[in-house]
Amino acid sequence: MISRARLLGLLLLAFAALLASQANAHHNMTAVFDFNDRVTFTGTLTAVDWRNPHTYFTVEVKGAGGAIESWQSEGPAPSFFRIRDVGKADFEASVGKTVTVEVSRARDKSRFGLIRTFTLSNGKIVSACPQNC
Amino acid sequence: MGFSMKNRTPIAVILTTASLCFAALPDRVLGQELNAEAKSKEAVEARNKRNAQIFQNNASILTFLDRYGKPTGQIGERAIYEAAALSPDGKRVATIKDDLENESADLWVFDVATGRATRFTTSARTEFADSPIWSPDSGRLAYTAMRKGQEGIYIRAATGQGAEELLYKNPGAFMNLTDWSSDGRFLSFAISDIKGGALYILPLEGGPERKAIEIFHSDLRVLWPRFSPDGRYLSYVMLDKANRREVFVRPSDPAVHEGPWQISDGSFRSAYWVHGGKELYYVGRDRSIMAAEVSTSPSFSFRKPRIVFRQQVAVPDTLMYINRDGERFLVLPPALGQQLQQISIFNREGKVVKKVGDPALYSNPAFSPDGHRLLVVQNEIKTGQEDLWVLDIETAKATRITDDTRIKATPMWSPDGNYIFYTALLDGDWPVYRKAADGTGKEELLFRYTPGAFVALSDISPDGKFLVCDSGNVILLVPLAVSDPAARKPIDYLRDEFDDEAGRVSPDGRFIAYRSDEVKPERFEVYVRPFDAARPVAEDKKWQVSKDGVFGSEPFQGPITMLHWRGDGKEIFFRGQELDSNDLVMMASDVETTPAFRAGSPKVLFRLPGPIDGNVGAVSRDGQRFVLAINVPADKTAQSSESK
Repeated sequence: MISRARLLGLLLLAFAALLASQANAHHNMTAVFDFNDRVTFTGTLTAVDWRNPHTYFTVEVKGAGGAIESWQSEGPAPSFFRIRDVGKADFEASVGKTVTVEVSRARDKSRFGLIRTFTLSNGKIVSACPQNC
Repeated sequence: MGFSMKNRTPIAVILTTASLCFAALPDRVLGQELNAEAKSKEAVEARNKRNAQIFQNNASILTFLDRYGKPTGQIGERAIYEAAALSPDGKRVATIKDDLENESADLWVFDVATGRATRFTTSARTEFADSPIWSPDSGRLAYTAMRKGQEGIYIRAATGQGAEELLYKNPGAFMNLTDWSSDGRFLSFAISDIKGGALYILPLEGGPERKAIEIFHSDLRVLWPRFSPDGRYLSYVMLDKANRREVFVRPSDPAVHEGPWQISDGSFRSAYWVHGGKELYYVGRDRSIMAAEVSTSPSFSFRKPRIVFRQQVAVPDTLMYINRDGERFLVLPPALGQQLQQISIFNREGKVVKKVGDPALYSNPAFSPDGHRLLVVQNEIKTGQEDLWVLDIETAKATRITDDTRIKATPMWSPDGNYIFYTALLDGDWPVYRKAADGTGKEELLFRYTPGAFVALSDISPDGKFLVCDSGNVILLVPLAVSDPAARKPIDYLRDEFDDEAGRVSPDGRFIAYRSDEVKPERFEVYVRPFDAARPVAEDKKWQVSKDGVFGSEPFQGPITMLHWRGDGKEIFFRGQELDSNDLVMMASDVETTPAFRAGSPKVLFRLPGPIDGNVGAVSRDGQRFVLAINVPADKTAQSSESK
């Protein structure tokens, strides 16, 4: 995965923040997600979709009235995890178990967000920053 | 189980949610460190070699210029610098220096007299410091830093002694911290994203709960807000949707309804108040240093800008900072020195058989299908633009295709040679366009993808029915049969857990060659899969063509892909991986597509000393000629369209 620092060094004439997010993803993060609107939810991880250009995680959350709500969260690309100290198996091991996810919520206010941190069922915290910050 | 939502005004959320997040993270989180495979000796050696190449091609030395543009000295070691700021007393330079191995960037301070360097920050892997600014008395430094996934503004004594203090937490990232007011009471910064931008000032009085004040927001992006010495005005740069930048001035008090005033007629970087606020200096579109005489009392006024100096070089330095006395300028000279590019055609032995035109700032040369013309990207310093041109190989006669400030990428010829296809950054998107290859007529929109998504065009099917694109390491096919561009929906040809890119359709339209790192992260190989236009989704069947890696494992080599089918479909060309030097290694494999696909062993055709960018379209249809933009020492009179 390209670092922001490397990116800036190579694209001095480009607009840094814009391209920093574009180089890492198939869409510009700020176009879809509101970084000023953070949501944290805890629930049961029910699905892991592990493919480019993003990973997706479905969490079933008990809402205030007791109804189950399904939250979708978007993580970095699989290639990000291929060389990192956390991978697909770590997430799959949490399926059916309780996880906590902090996201920047989608601008359309749907139950969809961009992952900032993901607490696995074993308590380990995965940070998606600065890629997703 | 349950959830909590924090949906408040931006500033309130900045203070509330950022503190929650910041407090929640432990010292070590997963996702920042490399895994065992990536730490293996082989992987580390390969990464180190790639980093060495990146350093070689991008590192430079901070250099002082005087008010006539003449170099007066250097400071610090050769490095990749992101930012630099001279202290008001002129004794020290604060810089942000990249650490490629750690994928981070940190704050260093150089003593101007002795050159002694002091490290101020040590970032974790993938995190960084940025945007250093000095207090008016030169006693303190403020800077932004990403720590545990949280960006903030920090402040520290300029001696490097004592602990740093966190001033402000940002919920997002990439705050553009720019200035410290002359009275020492405020900092200025900008935050921009695809939805626009805003200018802020941050009062230093108060405690950790201090709030930033929004001065101005726009649906355009804004950068580099600097206080006038009396604090009454802010200069800043605004980028329009086509990437054109202009310097503006407006009151620093949002309650004062004056202005804004546009100072520049094209600009590149930040503007600086000099000579006690009597002049505003900035970089003009041709990289000249410009000065506008200004007054801030009783209200703001300015006169037509004049040239302070024009750099007498073919490839201008990058301005990093202008001192408030208007006498000293900090710049970064081009990493590879004064070099232009000569469009050169090579034979299969790597010998030059033809040079086309004079050297200029060229990239991405590509043969037309008939082999008589070349498509090139030219960066014209005088206009501040990067545009597409078609050159006649025999006469070097140039035909302009585009004429605007957008950043263009992945240009290529249509299969019949009648059109030029390309992408151009517009309002955060990368739409695909085409325009007639003789330069006439209007640009035609062909395809627009997800808002803000980067799309690289990698091929057009021989029958002209599909665009082949890369986005997010997925190979997409865009059917052109649908007449309405807005209704054209991409088809996933190949979407995996690993990176697939640079799809190139065989001349008979039955296969797609591409590169992928499916076997090993950070190492790409060329593969071929069947392609059926009636069912345009990749089959599981595939054949590996390359054996020892292909150029492209560094992400920024991505758009510059050399992967070609010979016109009769009997040979595939690609650029071999070369980690020990910048050399371009041109490889070829004999292939057969009937009755079934078969690839022979790759062989080296030729090797050229680099650095050289490759390109889509660099090989002629008959596979006998290769066109490349070769670095040559710049003659300062040779630049730009004067050669045409």
